[in-house]
Amino acid sequence: MDLTQNEKRLIVVLAGVGSASPYELGEKFPAPEEAALQYAHLLQARGLATVERQVEKQHFLTDEGKRYASEGLPERQLLDSFSAAIPMADLSRHPLAKIGIGQMRRKGWVVIRSGMVEKTGAASPGTDEEALKDPTRFPEAIPELLKRGLVQEKETVSYLISLTVEGKELAEKGIDTTPETGTLTRDQIVSGEWRDLVLRRYDVTKLPRRVFPGKIHPYQRLIEEMRCILLEMGFTEIYGDIVQSAFWNFDALFQPQDHPAREMQDTFYLHEKGPLPEGWEKVRDMHLHGGNTSSTGWGGRWSEEKAGQCVLRTHSTSLSIRHLAANPKGPVKAFCISRVYRREAIDPTHLPEFEQLEGIVMDEGVNFAHLLGYLKEFYRRMGFSDVRFRPGYFPYTEPSVEPEVFVPGLGWVEMGGAGIFREEVTAPFAIEHPVLAWGLGVSRIAMLRLGLRDLRMLYRSDIDWVRDTPSLLRPDCGGDA
Amino acid sequence: MPVISLSFDYLERLTGADREDILKRLPMLGSDIERIEEDHVDVEFFPNRPDLFSVEGVARALRGFMGLETGLAIYRVTPSGMKFTVDPALAPIRPFLGSAVIRNVSFDEESILSVMGLQEALHWAVGRGRSKVAIGIHDLDAVTPPFHYVASERTRRFVPLDFDEEMSLEEILLRHPKGRAYAAIVDRYPLFPLITDDLGRVLSFPPVINGELTRVSTKTKNLLLDTTGTEERAVRTAVTILCTAMVEAGADIESVQIGDMSWPDLSPVTRYVRADEGNRLLGTGLSQPEMAELLQKMRYGAEPAGDGILRVRVPCYRADIMHDWDVFEDVAIAYGYERFPAVISATFTIGRPNPVNSLAGIIRQVLAGLGFIEVIPFTLSNEQVMFYRMQRPVSPSVLRVMHPITEDHTLVRSDLLPLLLEICQLNRHRELPQRIFCVGDVVEQGITYQRMAWVSLHPGADFSEALGTADAICRELSLPYEAEESGDPAFIDGRRGVLGICGRQAGVFGEIHPAVLNAFEIEHPVAAMELDLRVLPEYPVRQDSP
Repeated sequence: MDLTQNEKRLIVVLAGVGSASPYELGEKFPAPEEAALQYAHLLQARGLATVERQVEKQHFLTDEGKRYASEGLPERQLLDSFSAAIPMADLSRHPLAKIGIGQMRRKGWVVIRSGMVEKTGAASPGTDEEALKDPTRFPEAIPELLKRGLVQEKETVSYLISLTVEGKELAEKGIDTTPETGTLTRDQIVSGEWRDLVLRRYDVTKLPRRVFPGKIHPYQRLIEEMRCILLEMGFTEIYGDIVQSAFWNFDALFQPQDHPAREMQDTFYLHEKGPLPEGWEKVRDMHLHGGNTSSTGWGGRWSEEKAGQCVLRTHSTSLSIRHLAANPKGPVKAFCISRVYRREAIDPTHLPEFEQLEGIVMDEGVNFAHLLGYLKEFYRRMGFSDVRFRPGYFPYTEPSVEPEVFVPGLGWVEMGGAGIFREEVTAPFAIEHPVLAWGLGVSRIAMLRLGLRDLRMLYRSDIDWVRDTPSLLRPDCGGDA
Repeated sequence: MPVISLSFDYLERLTGADREDILKRLPMLGSDIERIEEDHVDVEFFPNRPDLFSVEGVARALRGFMGLETGLAIYRVTPSGMKFTVDPALAPIRPFLGSAVIRNVSFDEESILSVMGLQEALHWAVGRGRSKVAIGIHDLDAVTPPFHYVASERTRRFVPLDFDEEMSLEEILLRHPKGRAYAAIVDRYPLFPLITDDLGRVLSFPPVINGELTRVSTKTKNLLLDTTGTEERAVRTAVTILCTAMVEAGADIESVQIGDMSWPDLSPVTRYVRADEGNRLLGTGLSQPEMAELLQKMRYGAEPAGDGILRVRVPCYRADIMHDWDVFEDVAIAYGYERFPAVISATFTIGRPNPVNSLAGIIRQVLAGLGFIEVIPFTLSNEQVMFYRMQRPVSPSVLRVMHPITEDHTLVRSDLLPLLLEICQLNRHRELPQRIFCVGDVVEQGITYQRMAWVSLHPGADFSEALGTADAICRELSLPYEAEESGDPAFIDGRRGVLGICGRQAGVFGEIHPAVLNAFEIEHPVAAMELDLRVLPEYPVRQDSP
């Protein structure tokens, strides 16, 4: 048992006196009374001492009580103010009449007969009057005096501290009380005094007070991990606007103007209008009849006004196509991880805003097999070694593919979408080579990695969750929220 | 997306394959299996393949995909001799009509439901909720040709489906459940589309409701199809998908004359595609005959036409084939995605982080080093949080969304500080001190850029902490600043400052006003700071506009 210096000294002191109050112990220590009591409690917890709590009631005269102690109770003063009898009307004028008359009658000192107050003759001093002089001598009178507000009660808690049998045995064996040093001071270190000091031993098995470091959000760490992977793979990072014209968000991606995803129910529209970029007519022609490609286009109508309406970007592909339009000559390898917006009601797995990762590769000769290669490599680096591919459908890619990764305990999990940009998408911007593209919801991976059941935790964070989620998170010690 | 219920018995009968094989191959054809039950499987197909929205269409595709019956399905159409007239007054309303006669159907309750299921799926995928295309299916034997598609007075009366009394067209829009659901499509026109037989009896009021007269039952043997819409191509797609599915189920198709056109046209569309273009796109080395064979598995007619060219006959129901690459995707699907090698291209590029995110990363390090915890609040917020609780005036340049879903998300944040205080409010029962920060996008005047903010909430938080921390951050970012008194009502007067950096007011700091704390139900003092990151010389200058 590693006793602290204070605990040791308290045992020694107690062994000398048998039992004592904290005050007495404090005197001998010397230490404040409270400190002595605290050490005693520590000893009690170790089974070496007992701390007996005693409550004592003490009574003191109030100011009113003190006055009556010297002048007499009001009924005594009133009784002494007249001889045998007095008309009630006269006595009522006495300043103490209000309290005194009632008390005199109650105590049987007077009777009231046809308007006259007559003494009965029995008026020897009661215990209450004695108790006023010394409250400790007549405890039976105290409740009445308390009621009359002449005496007040104070509780005094005192402690009696004694060694237990174990404590005594320890004391008999002898305790080394050479003073110990806790925190080293500058002087002790600089002067070399530390050489002569006994440094206190601490209990290394004790639970510490928890301290919380500043830290980067667990979700941001995951995003950084993905950025690193893509940067290592030679991709350039894109950053762009949340507000996009429908032209960049939809039309440039060959999404027909009557596509359900473009409706108000699914997309956040804004009052703002965006200018159409130079060469927008080529996009229009592509929609109407397929431009100069083998495409038929969508046919129907194409409205310039619809294309100019601004939206909160619904996918990061709007940034990809803008990047390609600005860099139509290959090779381009680019990515972004950015927040996108869908008009969805909030529930544990749906939010109106979330992060999307998107990667594109544009170079001479890149093909579908390469797309699968990039997907496999990316997911492998993210820790998903088993990847498989199924046909998919996205309006702006052809062929399209849905990658799935194997997650132990869950099975095959769909992990975003991918494909080669349609020629209808690339031709209007004179993009020279095929574009491999893939996207995935970053929050999906966050849920798997961080063990989240509710996506909202990422954005409306419980600070304790962030505090408790380790910076280095391993699947086998994942958080649980 | 429509979920199609495929009965195993029916599928096995139509394909001649067993259910294990079918279940294994279905996803590789391009579908998501939703649920497998005792006797059926629920499958979701992609919206570009409405031809797979019926069990007959799926069976046709599966037979090819599994190699049981390949090549183009030929659909015979014989003339019925019936005519359909179209009123020119429909031109601004709903000008296009497609039709067909479908004979020798044998309906039971289940197959009627199946046809109605296909009809509804087509309404969704091709018809855009009936606005672009609406389909009516009628008992042919209850009516007398020729038929007439007219623009009718709104007062015209007939008995709509599921009712036993006559109603005017206007009444139907008000009282019939389907009328209320689809009124918005036609309500703005003075005249309404109507289909009648030669005796003036009403078959349907497209795109709203059919008449009770031509209700289809298990006794129905012959059908008349009406398909109306605003785009001819979409009308054609709906008609061909429905007719070919009926043929697969054993019916015969007869044509109806509409003007100088004979409906339906179930003949394929011919495309000439280059095999080498396909191989380049896919990374394959398929010969022309190999490619042709794969396409036949996808139910195309395909044969080498010399000179590296394939003659491909695209089935009439494949509305999704718009471009040669669509054909090549089917080559890839038939080849099997699982058989592709996954290789990385030789493209040499050097990775480059975006400077905006690099700066954000440095700020995260500085703030975490100062003991702050990062949070990532929503970018959607509301006036209450962004302005009123902050005692700040509503910014005229704030970006509002037009149709918010909730009162909580009516605008895009232009500041981060209010959102940090909101997070403190959520965490008001958590241990103090709470020091949190955020780096992220805000939008002002349509422009997205990054800001940084932190708050420190604890009983000892004060102006000195705000200034000291702001000073440390500016020193770490090599940003010389001049602090001046600020008038920001979110802070306490006399305990608030503006950071003047490079001649710009780039940030605020100080002690948050107690009225603001009250508004966020925060019970201890808060020191805070916010900074516009565009003040950093490394922050990229924008080149373009949104």
